[in-house]
Amino acid sequence: MSGPGHDALVVADLAVHYPARNGPPVRAVDGVSFALARNETLGLVGESGCGKSTVARAIVGLQPPTRGSVKVDGAEIVGASRAALRAARARMQMVFQDPVTSLNPRMTVGEAVGEPLLVRGIARGAALRERVAGLLTEAGLRPEDAGRYPHQFSGGQRQRIVIARALALRPALLVCDEPVSALDVSVRAQILNLLVDLQRAHGMACLFVSHDLAVVRHVCDRVAVMYLGRLAELAPRDALYAEPRHPYTRALLAAVPEPDPVVQRAKPRVPLVGEIPSPAHMPSGCRFHTRCPMTQAICRTVEPEWRQVGSSLVACHFAG
Amino acid sequence: MLLAPAPFVPALFAPALAVHDLNLLIDGAAVVDGVDFAVASGEVMALVGESGCGKSLTAHAIMRLLPDAVRQGRGRIELDGENLSALSERQMRRVRGRRISMIFQEPQAALDPLSTVGAQVAEATGLPRSQAREAVLRMLAEVGISDPARRIDQYPFELSGGMCQRVMIASALIARPAVLIADEPTTALDVTIQAQILDLLRRLAVERGTAIVLITHDMGVVADIADRVAVMYAGRIAETGDTAAIFAAPRHPYTALLLAALPRLTDVPRSRLAVIEGRVPAPAEFPPGCRFAGRCPLADDHCRAEVPPLRDVGSGHLSACWHSEAVR
Ligand SMILES: Nc1ncnc2c1ncn2[C@@H]1O[C@H](COP(=O)(O)OP(=O)(O)OP(=O)(O)O)[C@@H](O)[C@H]1O
Ligand SMILES: Nc1ncnc2c1ncn2[C@@H]1O[C@H](COP(=O)(O)OP(=O)(O)O)[C@@H](O)[C@H]1O
Ligand code: SF4
Ligand code: SF4
Ligand SMILES: [Mg+2]
Ligand SMILES: [Mg+2]
Repeated sequence: MSGPGHDALVVADLAVHYPARNGPPVRAVDGVSFALARNETLGLVGESGCGKSTVARAIVGLQPPTRGSVKVDGAEIVGASRAALRAARARMQMVFQDPVTSLNPRMTVGEAVGEPLLVRGIARGAALRERVAGLLTEAGLRPEDAGRYPHQFSGGQRQRIVIARALALRPALLVCDEPVSALDVSVRAQILNLLVDLQRAHGMACLFVSHDLAVVRHVCDRVAVMYLGRLAELAPRDALYAEPRHPYTRALLAAVPEPDPVVQRAKPRVPLVGEIPSPAHMPSGCRFHTRCPMTQAICRTVEPEWRQVGSSLVACHFAG
Repeated sequence: MLLAPAPFVPALFAPALAVHDLNLLIDGAAVVDGVDFAVASGEVMALVGESGCGKSLTAHAIMRLLPDAVRQGRGRIELDGENLSALSERQMRRVRGRRISMIFQEPQAALDPLSTVGAQVAEATGLPRSQAREAVLRMLAEVGISDPARRIDQYPFELSGGMCQRVMIASALIARPAVLIADEPTTALDVTIQAQILDLLRRLAVERGTAIVLITHDMGVVADIADRVAVMYAGRIAETGDTAAIFAAPRHPYTALLLAALPRLTDVPRSRLAVIEGRVPAPAEFPPGCRFAGRCPLADDHCRAEVPPLRDVGSGHLSACWHSEAVR
């Protein structure tokens, strides 16, 4: 089923609706489609609550979707048997925002990193120790660290441990949900350099979820911008940053404060009015129309189609 | 401390708030050590640094709201020339929220969940509720809350994070304090909402002449709004001066590395980011000399032995580094 020739990841019309006790369901993800080639890193950006983490969790099989399909390395995840899911999980790994809660405090670093190899019977004994030492070195730690416990490490070092563990099975797909958001600037730079090195060395596909547009630009080949459960725009990195087509992408980019007072203070201010609506009460028509500076009558009633404009895919009636 | 740095008070303004040689101790370790800065009316002064460097403790010391584990050693805090450290707790209660206010990072957590927006904002006026209502409505409108007549009777859980932050700013400002301390006011917010709140703070400084101390770890926020900035590292001020001067030519290795470690919208994607090796020492392990010495590429024996004082490196730009002239 899997093998060369497939995209590393194909997501088609993915939806996750959370039922609510009273009132309509929360449409956290509401029809998202994209594909990810081998070697490619795709950024998924958007404001808090727009559904990024829910997409990530559905892809790795932690959240059963309401509808849609997720194929990892050619194999369908949605509705897969337990055995098929287990096989697929060996092909994908996830790195979360908080390195503190993603590690078992009672396991040594060596046990944590080696666990996936041991559980799947890939290596044990001296061979396992050697593989673990190699993984730790690759993630910028020392082989001697294998005997220590997570609490003896700083936040950045713990994220290195999580990354070493995620690499153990040489996954075809790495899903990272805000992997550097909890880290201080100086440590964040270390982890970003590590991720770039690993992309170069292994060429695995990576879905990189983040709310930080500068970080996403630094590590991604293409970028998907999400708003209220849907993609607003999907474009190659340079096209997206140089020529954002969707009014929401433009507003997001304009709102990033750049660490340069000359650039930042010369920037035109296009403040986005209002706040993100609730995904339980989705606006009609274009879901961005309540905040869009370009809204026309049609936007309130007709949902925009997903269209190709230049090298970008955009969901806006007036993108051009 | 070998050399007490002269407090930084530029000649041309009488500061609304001045902090002199603030020292805060936890278990004998000076987690805040000799911090000096001043803010004038209408000015935004940023206190920037990585987590744990002492920003929030400095803010709480100014408000005289230090946690039990923290003791103030040396230091003097002046509000409009008046020494706050000399006030009784009763006198201090009349200062807080009236002449100096503070807002926090987690707006939802800082508001009382059981009390309406109107009641919380009115509290700081000291007026009876009926009279305060008009003032509260005006204040809510001023901080950009749409439909204030409806919002005034709502509870915090009915509001978004951005709106809660506006409510907190409204209650902090309704008594027209001369000084506002904002501790990471936008860290929990999305960038589009952050931009709105920063615009609001800037307007308050310009139109009302509020002196603002803005605490942040985000150099982008500093670049956007601060007139002056103090960069903190491990409880001390590493460098301070005009925002423009410091971004154009940092004169402390820590600031320079911090700026080079940031991915920017203008750099080459996947280019190598500067890293600061190692990590901030824990307070119990602060070294005797420069606290940055263990991570600094320019460190030598002098740095490890003696604390570098904050020295003028040109027009009010101060750097606490023995080798400030070698920083590129
Ligand atoms: N288990 C759940 N039950 C009900 N609603 C949920 C659940 N998980 C998430 N949601 C809701 O679904 C929406 C999308 O949440 P999600 O965590 O995917 O957002 P996100 O884009 O990752 O946000 P952030 O940037 O804050 O991490 C939100 O409205 C959220 O409140
Ligand atoms: N209540 C407290 N008890 C003990 N230590 C504290 C307390 N609050 C802060 N600290 C310590 O004081 C130092 C500075 O903390 P803080 O001012 O909160 O940093 P920042 O706001 O810059 O992130 C840190 O080492 C922190 O762990
Ligand atoms: S379709 Fe209309 S409301 Fe939606 S983004 Fe385009 S212009 Fe704005
Ligand atoms: S005093 Fe020495 S160790 Fe400290 S920042 Fe300057 S060069 Fe580095
Ligand atoms: Mg998330
Ligand atoms: Mg703090």
